[in-house]
Amino acid sequence: MPTLLELQRAAGRSIIAGDDALAARHVLADGLSPQARLGIYRNNFIGTLTGALKLCYPAIHRLVGAEFFEGAARIFITAEPPRRADLDAYGEGFSEFLAGFPPAGAVPYLPGVARLEWAVNRALHAPDMEPLDLARLGAVADAARDHIAFLPHPSVALIEANHPVDAVWRAVLAWDDDAMAAIDLDAGPVRLLVERRATGVEVTRLDEPAWRFAAALYASQPLWRAIEAAPEVDAAALLAEPLAAGRFIGFELVDSPITSGLHS
Amino acid sequence: MSASAARISATRGPIPREAGIGLRFPHHQTVLDEQPPVGWLEVHTENYLGGGTPLAFLEAIRRDYPIALHGVGLSLGSAEGLDLGHLDRVRRTVESIAPALVSEHLSWSIAEGRYLADLLPLPMTEEALRIVCRHVDRTQTVLRRHILLENPSSYLRWRHSTIPEWEFLAAVARRTGCGILCDVNNIYVSACNHGWDPSTYLAGLPATAISEIHLAGHSVRQLAGGRTLRIDDHGSRVIPAVWELYAEALARFGPVSTLIEWDTNLPALAVLVDEAARAAALLDCARQKIADADAA
Repeated sequence: MPTLLELQRAAGRSIIAGDDALAARHVLADGLSPQARLGIYRNNFIGTLTGALKLCYPAIHRLVGAEFFEGAARIFITAEPPRRADLDAYGEGFSEFLAGFPPAGAVPYLPGVARLEWAVNRALHAPDMEPLDLARLGAVADAARDHIAFLPHPSVALIEANHPVDAVWRAVLAWDDDAMAAIDLDAGPVRLLVERRATGVEVTRLDEPAWRFAAALYASQPLWRAIEAAPEVDAAALLAEPLAAGRFIGFELVDSPITSGLHS
Repeated sequence: MSASAARISATRGPIPREAGIGLRFPHHQTVLDEQPPVGWLEVHTENYLGGGTPLAFLEAIRRDYPIALHGVGLSLGSAEGLDLGHLDRVRRTVESIAPALVSEHLSWSIAEGRYLADLLPLPMTEEALRIVCRHVDRTQTVLRRHILLENPSSYLRWRHSTIPEWEFLAAVARRTGCGILCDVNNIYVSACNHGWDPSTYLAGLPATAISEIHLAGHSVRQLAGGRTLRIDDHGSRVIPAVWELYAEALARFGPVSTLIEWDTNLPALAVLVDEAARAAALLDCARQKIADADAA
């Protein structure tokens, strides 16, 4: 008689990897083979997780069609089963999987669209957080301002893609064939800011210098690094906008001459 | 503190002994707009762990309806132990929603750290009983409240099972003080799949522990040799045989808060409300019978 731990490991391998040899021994046949009984749970496993991926990646689903999506999802799910029971957090690796999945190679913008959809999903489910109180920022001494490192709101994500994936994403979700046909897929890279606003998830394009500034800022680099990364931008203006939009929830002073005095 | 106190005071009381419906994302806005005539709502805990837009809807809806949180991911029967990170996320959601009931399943879903996305049956053994009781205890300690444990539907039995499922469930309730969520459809599905007598199952459950009933539709798969297997897919109306078993459960347990569950091929909200009305009518009958007996 197996211990519960042994039994569950065997059943897990049957369901994820299709390896029934051990688990089937412990299943009552009773008119239906142990393999067929275990197969019901395997189908539910694949079906439920495919459904979760469809919810997260609706544009990919429409772009490649149900049959292709389900085939790709099955391989992905078997290779990367969830490690948590909240399926809203499942599927992060799907874009990388698609990038390395030869049958998807004919649609080069697919991984970029998938990355955008993952960011949208994360933005939808990110917890609510109070935005940074600007009065706290006002209390920072002038000499320390450049050393402020902002903590972004968890709904905010930055995405860089080699194709206009935001246009593709919008057109596909709107079932807009004309808009889709009008997209110049070779128009070059896009740089996107994804965030949840009061009205829903917004996807905004940034120009290249603003992107460099934002990339440093949202990676919680001190302000002087963001300015150094994009010396040609109007940093004050580029900072005012996210502050007003509540895209930061806090900040700390990094290597500040005021607080540490070590790097003055 | 004051924000959390305000949230709790906004909660609409205990779950009434009436019919409610399982609320899924596509019906969020309709429920807010139309305020359907059902006694209460139940949602899957795991859909609200992250916060954001789903939680904002639930915060709004709970001002109008009593809410129950129904978990599918704690994996109370996993021998490798509870996922304490998951339990903590559940705790935070329970604290912010302050639901009238919290329930989970007599099943397991996690092996070697992988979530199997289904409610798998346990071997009905003394070892499994000890493990489930330990995890129910732990969960109730962390959540600082009693939970309800639901009987699963299943498509296989383990050879080394020695305890009837209803006795196992009754033992967990007795040892941990947890309540029982009696899923009448699951009893019917498992009874048909395994050749059990559903009335024996009902009779084996402790009436005082039954705090909620679930009803749902299931599908029937034809097997070779004329046999069938019933699949608990929550994708259709409750079948007549399950309504009959529900009436039997009400006769045995009295009028118990009853939920209509529907997960696949989700229809218009009106269909769920119609199913809930059927359950409500049977609940009225059960109440009338008690009143008649008291009068006699």
